[in-house]
Amino acid sequence: MKKLVPIAATILSLVVVFPILYAISASFFSFSDFTSIPARLFPADPTLTNYTRAFAGTHLARFLANSLITATLGTIIRMAISIGSAYVFAFYTFKGKNLLFVILIATMLLPSDALLIENYITIRTLALTDTYLGIISTSLLAPVHLFLLRQYFRMVSREYREAAIIEGCSDARFLMTLLIPISQSVIITLTLQSFTSIFNDYLWPLLVTNNVSMRTVQVGITMLGFSENLDYGPQFAAITLLMTPILIAFILLNKNIKESVSTRFTGR
Amino acid sequence: MDKTKIAKARPYILLLPALTLAFLFAYRPFFRTIVNSLYNLSIIGKRLSFVGFDNYSRLFGSGSFQDSLSNTLRFTLYFVPTNLIICLGAAMLANRKGKLASLNQIFMFLPMAVAMSSSMMLFKMMFNPSIGIMNSLLKADIQWFNDPKAAMLLLVIAGVWLDIGFDFLLLVSALRNVPTSLIEVARIEGANPWQLFISLQLPLIAPTLLFVLITSIKDAMLISAPVLLLTEGGPFRSTQTLVYQMYLEGFKSGNYALGSAIATVVFILTFAIMLLLLRFEQRRVYYQ
Repeated sequence: MKKLVPIAATILSLVVVFPILYAISASFFSFSDFTSIPARLFPADPTLTNYTRAFAGTHLARFLANSLITATLGTIIRMAISIGSAYVFAFYTFKGKNLLFVILIATMLLPSDALLIENYITIRTLALTDTYLGIISTSLLAPVHLFLLRQYFRMVSREYREAAIIEGCSDARFLMTLLIPISQSVIITLTLQSFTSIFNDYLWPLLVTNNVSMRTVQVGITMLGFSENLDYGPQFAAITLLMTPILIAFILLNKNIKESVSTRFTGR
Repeated sequence: MDKTKIAKARPYILLLPALTLAFLFAYRPFFRTIVNSLYNLSIIGKRLSFVGFDNYSRLFGSGSFQDSLSNTLRFTLYFVPTNLIICLGAAMLANRKGKLASLNQIFMFLPMAVAMSSSMMLFKMMFNPSIGIMNSLLKADIQWFNDPKAAMLLLVIAGVWLDIGFDFLLLVSALRNVPTSLIEVARIEGANPWQLFISLQLPLIAPTLLFVLITSIKDAMLISAPVLLLTEGGPFRSTQTLVYQMYLEGFKSGNYALGSAIATVVFILTFAIMLLLLRFEQRRVYYQ
């Protein structure tokens, strides 16, 4: 019984991780490796041609650049808006404060997938289809970020800020030199989370881009045209290339990720 | 005088970007979707004439929508318990100390690092009936994309894989927060692992379990992109879900009115489920 648990856990975890390992292995397959019987788990003769083919004659490099630009831009704006709004809610007193807070947080309850049609019409009316701004527009407001940052900022007492302001410290300086440094850990986690979520978004970027050169990589990767012809090698190579940096980051940061999940949802 | 006015206006000015975004991309589309579902709309989304509940009667009378509704509910029914049992089982098994346990945990949450569209492309290739790896590993000849039952099963497997990383992490951290002293005492009192789980761990992780339950029901009711990438609703509409049909009506057929009516049905369903669960939570779940 004692030994059964680790064995069962290992088997289950291998089943779970199998698609990832197989994708990496298959990205080095030659064409015939896919059709051999019985099916292969490892390449007979590892080759890099899939990687060169994934880039040659496709827009993969351009897709990647688009994703890096939109994810960076989106993350910066999203974090700036979240930090700025959280600051106001943590330190200012003004009429309608609670109401405005609830209005912003309640957007969490509206399922964004069901808003796709109207949001698309808005973006088209504003002539923002096929633009970076159009791609990031619906990810700029992050109610969860706002909520968590306000919690963190509240740890600094209001009197402390008032004293600093009387001494002639501006809001911006107070934020930059005190508040952001002490909330560093939560800001790093939220920044990483924003970046990956905008980078990995699929349905919205698919809808607001018609021009091939504006596609993001997660949209573009489904349209490379290899898998439709059962030419799987380059498709596996493109996927492997795309997921590897994030896999490495997750493995290296696994302790931080576990901690941030447990603090976010159990409040410790 | 002017200075104090500016100072008073300052918080509102600072909140303007967030409030504008909330209005533009959350509240305005939400209310417009509901209102538009009562109108006839042009192909660019302009209101032509008020038609009352005509869109809804057309919708509920159409076979396509009935399929979407029943497929979404069936998917939810299969997916939610499967996901909960597998994630909880994985968390129970991996909640140990040591190098191997830590490796088990990393493997279980890695699917979280793979983007949805990449994962679905992987699944599409791996489950290809003729040259995909899955059929040869299973030594079976399952028509994953041509057999309605197999396609639904494939969608459930894909859904669990997409969710397991995050749900596993939540549950494993909840389990880790159960005080070891309590477990020790129960063991000394002679409780077996099953009793330990039912009377000690389960009540203490109940809030997390409820959170996983609510989010997985919400995810299931809203599933669309995996359908689009994996099965395209087929075969014979057997995996066509509500939001996927909304996408088809809105973006493939240019039928915004019908799309808005489906979106409104989705709003009502998701809100109803959340309210139900919140009531359930108030009665049943014990908090720490």
